[in-house]
Amino acid sequence: MGAQRYPRNYGEVKVADRQSPPLDAHDDIELRLGADLVHLPIVRSVVATIATRADFDLDAIADLRLAVDEACSTLITRAIPGSTMRCLFTVSDDELTFTGTVHSDSDSSPSTKSFGWRVLTTLTDSVDSRVTSNGQAGHQIDIELTKRRVVVDA
Amino acid sequence: MTGAPAEPTSSHEYQHLAPLFEELAALDQKDGRRAALRDELVTGHLPLAEHIAQRFSGRGVAKEDLVQVATVGLINAVDRFDASRGSDFLSFAVPTVMGEVRRHFRDTGWLVRVPRRLKELHLSISTANTELAQRLGRAPTPSEIAAHLDISQDEVFAGLEAGNAYHSMSLDEVLSGDTENLALGDTLGEEDAALEGVENHEALQPLIQELPERERKILGLRFVHNMTQTQIAERIGVSQMHVSRLLARTLERLREGLTEQDEDVLSP
Repeated sequence: MGAQRYPRNYGEVKVADRQSPPLDAHDDIELRLGADLVHLPIVRSVVATIATRADFDLDAIADLRLAVDEACSTLITRAIPGSTMRCLFTVSDDELTFTGTVHSDSDSSPSTKSFGWRVLTTLTDSVDSRVTSNGQAGHQIDIELTKRRVVVDA
Repeated sequence: MTGAPAEPTSSHEYQHLAPLFEELAALDQKDGRRAALRDELVTGHLPLAEHIAQRFSGRGVAKEDLVQVATVGLINAVDRFDASRGSDFLSFAVPTVMGEVRRHFRDTGWLVRVPRRLKELHLSISTANTELAQRLGRAPTPSEIAAHLDISQDEVFAGLEAGNAYHSMSLDEVLSGDTENLALGDTLGEEDAALEGVENHEALQPLIQELPERERKILGLRFVHNMTQTQIAERIGVSQMHVSRLLARTLERLREGLTEQDEDVLSP
């Protein structure tokens, strides 16, 4: 993750102690929303829209919807109640990367032996989770997943 | 679609009603006897409506509702039938009634009101998806679908998005109702073994067992056999979009089940 600086606290739980993406990274899309399962449909539609517009094939789009759903559910169940979840979507020529971030009271990273993790590894080309401690405000959990674009013969 | 309208019931059952149509046609529009004749024709053909409703039952719409919809279709058919054309009422009524039932599925299959144009766009995209997948050996991209249907990419986006408002208990179920009989049942043990390494295996197992047959198979094909949704769709005989909806529903159900169990463990 980027350098952690300018610790801010606006009376809410901080999620993004992460340096803002450079302004020229115009393919990045960032979404911040309450770490609550009711918001899942929004994240699902956003990733589907991004993948569709990036002309991923329909299987990849469907997989991304399911994977982001799973990743966010995992994060939300670990998030401090009432806190924020940040979703970052990055599209490059050959892949789409999603990074979800929440703050948690627990420092245990999502188990790679769970069924949910199996779902994530099947649906994506790579998936990783990280737990970082940021001093007194609990722990930050990230799940990052990447889906590669299938090479389409012109 | 549902193929040629099969003989829903033998036509001689209704033969005694045929002369009533001529009688009805002969009566003046204002004649008081028209209503009674019309009633008799509708009532007499009710088994036909029930039979057609029966064919569509078990697909997420209450049987009574289907009979009602089919009866509306039957009344329309009685009203619109023109005996002077010399055709047989049944060959006119069956498609009319089936059309009414299909329209009901199509209209109620959407969670939010979606304009018909978008629904039809969604259906044609779904069809194009299947055709292209067969040709390409993989799922097509939106731009390939756009080129295939000769529409703009924006239209493809709109049609795909409309699909998100589509209720899974719907037309797809009607089109693919009888696919339970898959020669995959014997792979269940294998799937079980493959999931053995999963830490919440014991908690997961009963949840998977509770799934409907088809959902369980799709789950296994995707997460144990690692088939793509397009491959699964071809194997099961439903659309890729339907596989996608079923998988989403199944994963959500499993997740909910596992969370509930966690809560049970945590609560004193």
